[in-house]
Amino acid sequence: MALAWIARGLRRGVVTTRYPRRREPQLDGFRGRVEVVDAERAPADLAALCPTGAIHVDAGDRIVLDRKRCISCGACVDAAPERFAFSSAYETAMRPADRPPLSVHARSLRRSIHIRHVDAGSDGSEEWEISALTNPYYDMQRLGLYFTLSPRHADVLLVTGGVTPSMEEPLRRAYEVMPEPKAVVAAGTDACSGGLAVQIGEVAGGVDRVLPVDVYVPGAPPSPIALLHGLLLAAGVVTGEST
Amino acid sequence: MSVELPDHTHRFLEGRFRGSVEEATGATVRIRLPLSAIDRAAAVLAGEGARFVSVFVADAPERSLVAALAFRGRMVALRSPLGDAANAYAALSLRLPAARLAERELHDREGITPLGHPDLQPLLRPDADRFETRVAGDESFVIPYGPIRSGIFEAIQHVVETGGEDVLALETRPFFKHRGLEARFRGLDAAAGAIVAERIAGIAAVAHASAFSQAVETAAGVQAPEPAGLWRAIHAELERVANHLDVAIRLAEDAALAVGAARFGILKERVMRARARLCGSRFGRGVVVPGGIAFTPLLAPNDLREWLAQFERELAGDRRLLGHTASFTDRLIGSGRLDRATVEELGGVGPVARATGVSTDARFERPYGAYDRIGFEVVTEDGGDAMARLDVRFGEIRESLHIIRHALDRLGRTTERDLRVPVAPGTAAAFGWSEAPQGELVYWVELAAGRIGHVHVSSPSLHNWPLFVSSFRGDVLTDFSFIEHSFGLTPAGADR
Repeated sequence: MALAWIARGLRRGVVTTRYPRRREPQLDGFRGRVEVVDAERAPADLAALCPTGAIHVDAGDRIVLDRKRCISCGACVDAAPERFAFSSAYETAMRPADRPPLSVHARSLRRSIHIRHVDAGSDGSEEWEISALTNPYYDMQRLGLYFTLSPRHADVLLVTGGVTPSMEEPLRRAYEVMPEPKAVVAAGTDACSGGLAVQIGEVAGGVDRVLPVDVYVPGAPPSPIALLHGLLLAAGVVTGEST
Repeated sequence: MSVELPDHTHRFLEGRFRGSVEEATGATVRIRLPLSAIDRAAAVLAGEGARFVSVFVADAPERSLVAALAFRGRMVALRSPLGDAANAYAALSLRLPAARLAERELHDREGITPLGHPDLQPLLRPDADRFETRVAGDESFVIPYGPIRSGIFEAIQHVVETGGEDVLALETRPFFKHRGLEARFRGLDAAAGAIVAERIAGIAAVAHASAFSQAVETAAGVQAPEPAGLWRAIHAELERVANHLDVAIRLAEDAALAVGAARFGILKERVMRARARLCGSRFGRGVVVPGGIAFTPLLAPNDLREWLAQFERELAGDRRLLGHTASFTDRLIGSGRLDRATVEELGGVGPVARATGVSTDARFERPYGAYDRIGFEVVTEDGGDAMARLDVRFGEIRESLHIIRHALDRLGRTTERDLRVPVAPGTAAAFGWSEAPQGELVYWVELAAGRIGHVHVSSPSLHNWPLFVSSFRGDVLTDFSFIEHSFGLTPAGADR
């Protein structure tokens, strides 16, 4: 029976992406993230289009889009297509300039990163995209990335969801028992800013309200490639922000 | 106001609740009763075969306690106006054990006491360190699984009491992820409401947006155009296929069947990519809106048909091999066995219920959208164990692919081109439902001058957690993950 499975596995051939060594082909029409097409001379009421307050019109009448708050609902794209558009870009992760990658502390951490996932209040879709990282299409083990069951063995805490009151203490405890150096990756817009739940008060905000966040991966949910980009940014394997 | 009721079910309700039937629109019947009569009325309906759906406080047409039951192809809402002083009623759970969790939640949220309820501990903000034990003593100990789980899973806590290997007692504690999203609908216009609905349970976004949109459409008295109904069905069935494959992946992982997990992982990823090619979102988000659908299909029907044929061939091979892999099937056969009586008593829904021979499916019981025009089989099994639940899921994948093909055929024939009709901003309230991959999902939506008021969501995952607890009969700790994953529930959907 084991042989039959191996035969089936081999028959399919290699489906694995070459990312990050080669660029992943971008899918036409994929709603990777929202881009501002025309930021100039914007009326102030554009901000009201966004249910999570990601759109801000500054003193110079320019649109400023806070990606950490964008839930990719497309309300702005529908209402003002001359100003906003979906782009199929997938490298959406961001690392604040004052948070150095793990490789700065320990060079060996570039090739063996152990990741512990914690759900602090997600909608469940981020867990699917994180699980997809181990399927043959993304196969994150080829990059030296591994999931671990205990936070005591983890280099990276991968957190999903805005932090609910019940999850705040378990999340804090998981972080405290991790060995140094350690990094926190906020996966998904809810983890970056709290998403839609913030305005009603049950969820006070994103993960950075509880823990120092090293890498933000906005997206609702971020695609598996976006998550890989975020993890590699945290490790220091890739540098810079998004494309 | 009493309404004339045409068919047998309506005649029965008219006869039983003389003069109390105040409204009958579509598949919903609303019956007005005094608060003191609601528990007895619910018990009478349950005695006639009704399944408990939910109990909650509605604001429209006035502040009322509403008990919803699915009864012979209708959604029956028993409604009692709540005066200012009313803060208690006789608990439904005394006669309907299925109402226990819903009444606990009601007590927490609204401060209304269901008198005689066996367990009114707070539910909404659980503390990971504080739980009660039932059998713990010198001979046994407690393992709290969660809220941080082992593996990539959503947060929930299972308190297991064990003597070492056997599961002596189990308590499942949801609501670690309670985000209060039902309150987030308030004040939004109908179209923006769909955005919130899609984010209550991300893995069932299409089902949530459909149930919500259908509630709005019923309230506003409009119907989505035929092509929109067909596209909704296509997206909903792709969502079901992805969810069922996800269960297969997790079970293969539990059995340490690495290649099997990889194979089903490939199939699921292909479904996710097909969904992204169709609408730009791997989760079918932004498709379903009140009044119809909000996208122009990016993939030609023939391309989708070709994709289906290839997908079905590959799936068939993997499924056959999985069924012949003894190291896999041995772990599922007999694990977490439920019987039909327990499922009926606890109001179970979805594949979990259908695996015990209970033929319940919202698509069939109260057809919505395109489902009254597309023939399909409600797949059931009799085993009641983890194996039967997986068999139901594979049967449903087959039916889903069949539904998609049918929908594509009908799309090719229909002359109607509209994908969306305007929804007039009115003042009304209604139920809407859909069959999510986890089971029947019901929305209650109130509209006032086009703005959303109170929303109540009755989620299949919350309904089925008590069944998960009941399914441990002589099962041991190593069966735990098999049983949990065979249920395929989503804590986000339950906790809201």
